[in-house]
Amino acid sequence: MPNACAITSRIASKPMSTPDLATAATPDKRLHPWSFLFVLLQQLRQFLIPLVALLFFGRGSSDDNGSDQWWPLIGVGVLAVISLLQYFTYRYRVDGDSLTIRSGWLHRSLRHVPFARIHNVVLHQSLLHRLFGVAEVRLESAGGDKPEAQMRVLRLDDALALEQLIRHRGVAPAADALAVADDVLLAMPTSEVIRHGLISNRGLIVVGAGIGALSQVSPRLLPNLFEGMGEVLFGWAGRQAFGPAQYVLAAVSLLLLFVVVLRVLSVAMALLQYHGFVLSEHGRRLTVDRGLLTRLRTSATRRRIQAWTLQEGLLHRLFKRRTLKIDTAVAETGNEKRALKELAPIATPYACEALIQHLLPAVEWPRRSWQPLHRNAWRRLLMPGVLFAIALTAALTWRFGVWGVFGLLWLPWLWYRARQYARRAGYSVDEGLIAVRGGWWSKYWRFAELDRLQALQLTRSPLDRHYGMATLHLDTAGASPMTSPLRIRYLPEAEAYDLYRWLGAVIAARKLQW
Amino acid sequence: MPVDTPPIDTPPDTSPQMPSPEWHALPARARKLFVLIHALGFGVAGGIVAMGGATLLASIFDHDGLFWVAIALGLVGGIASGAWWGDKQYRHTRWKLDNDGFALQRGRLWQRESRVPASRVQHLDLKHGPLERKYGLATLVIHTAGSKLNTVTVGGLDAADAERLRDHLADRIEADVDA
Repeated sequence: MPNACAITSRIASKPMSTPDLATAATPDKRLHPWSFLFVLLQQLRQFLIPLVALLFFGRGSSDDNGSDQWWPLIGVGVLAVISLLQYFTYRYRVDGDSLTIRSGWLHRSLRHVPFARIHNVVLHQSLLHRLFGVAEVRLESAGGDKPEAQMRVLRLDDALALEQLIRHRGVAPAADALAVADDVLLAMPTSEVIRHGLISNRGLIVVGAGIGALSQVSPRLLPNLFEGMGEVLFGWAGRQAFGPAQYVLAAVSLLLLFVVVLRVLSVAMALLQYHGFVLSEHGRRLTVDRGLLTRLRTSATRRRIQAWTLQEGLLHRLFKRRTLKIDTAVAETGNEKRALKELAPIATPYACEALIQHLLPAVEWPRRSWQPLHRNAWRRLLMPGVLFAIALTAALTWRFGVWGVFGLLWLPWLWYRARQYARRAGYSVDEGLIAVRGGWWSKYWRFAELDRLQALQLTRSPLDRHYGMATLHLDTAGASPMTSPLRIRYLPEAEAYDLYRWLGAVIAARKLQW
Repeated sequence: MPVDTPPIDTPPDTSPQMPSPEWHALPARARKLFVLIHALGFGVAGGIVAMGGATLLASIFDHDGLFWVAIALGLVGGIASGAWWGDKQYRHTRWKLDNDGFALQRGRLWQRESRVPASRVQHLDLKHGPLERKYGLATLVIHTAGSKLNTVTVGGLDAADAERLRDHLADRIEADVDA
């Protein structure tokens, strides 16, 4: 796969050939001359639907006057002029330890971005970018919904030089410092990427997106398709006079087919996104390179990591793998998943542990001792389920008579699950780190250095108070609402309160670290 | 549990203006505000819910009088429960400022206690709504870099207390930046 790792191999082969690195302050620089093309393409993508609508609309009303269909082209022309203007007015310069960007024509703006403020550097190369030998660079800081700077597009070596400068905070690195090759912390061979595809549920996303796109195009297309297929299938089945066994067999094989198709799609997605995944370390900076057609290279310093998540689902366990993710304070814009989030999409448990030990050398991991939850935590876990099950059984009995009582058969399962969950859940804390573990089928470990905690909250619901429990929430920056929260549920009340007070004092005494 | 916390780099500002480090209730005149705001909000919500229910009732029983009775009941019920809830909220809100930072207690049935360490305060807002101005009250908003608890809002504070809190926490931020 050497040709797929264009960015990586470039750096490795000629690390010192860019002259800009020698001087910290460079003269004003422009974007790549072709950049207007890429800006135009980006804008066209946004205006595509109105433009297409205009094209159809124009054609419909152009019986008397044939010139209407040229309106869209005028629109494209205006956009092209805007893109060209953007190219001619956009300049950037590196002064010592910061980047200065001038842009705009009528509304001019001057932007000053200190390198120390940048949390994440993203180098993005789509297939088209690679044909032209250019790359898109995004510099992201903490919070906010827009990147500090987005350069669409730079020549590849300019982009790499800029990335290098930011890596070294504007100080031109010594020749021998650069000659040191990046330490590869994790590389995923194709077999691992395929395994990742099998474990992850990406196929479902593809199917969902496909259904969405199809119903956008024609709302009746999918229902018609399903009805047609249903008629054909059931019509055929009706003529064959099958017994129940055959029907079950047919249903199972259809289901199997669906699962297989999903997994194949999932593997294809994983190959597209994660082909040639390499996590490397250069000094304090972590860099991830990945992608088959579109190459993506994102980097962040180690100290920008806010919290860690280690996951092991059922399929993970089957393949003896785990997933290691981190939170950074960089805001995700829309559905563009570009920030450095996954240190190890999948890796063996041992490799995950080695990674954590390497990146958090001062911390004990894996933890030897875990504190259990409240003795009665399983009852507290069980309670909402029991209430729901009783309500459900009552409803079933009212509707179906005595047979509804079978709804109570759900209870033993709930009991077993609560016991298992409570047995495994726990937390572990020392002066350096706080860690929480949970889950049963699908396990997770979530942890953060104490310096990274931002605020604390202790909550007690009426049920909690009945059992003498409390839940401690630990807030960190950049935690997404989708991941399991960093919180210790169902602690004995006194223990929770002690921990809350102790943590409050410790955090107050430590300086905020970004 | 290890309790030997490292000493604080910058000694806390012990100027005479710092509020005493214990739990403080909100001033008595904030009760009116809490009751009024919750009664209004619940009243409007109750009215809307009653309107939906009343339309249904009127269509079933074909009786216009029932419609107005239901709406009146909804409004009165909403206002009464809002006033009750507002009073509860008022009575169970407490704040504390100590050397470590700011803490806020809320609620009786569902109890929450939040703590923002002074070293984690990003910036502060002080708001005075028209009603709050009338009663000499203020709302303090503490921003952190966190995700779920990125803002902690305390309404109905005594205006002078709120100002002292803001000044004190802001001083701590500056001390941290200079250090």
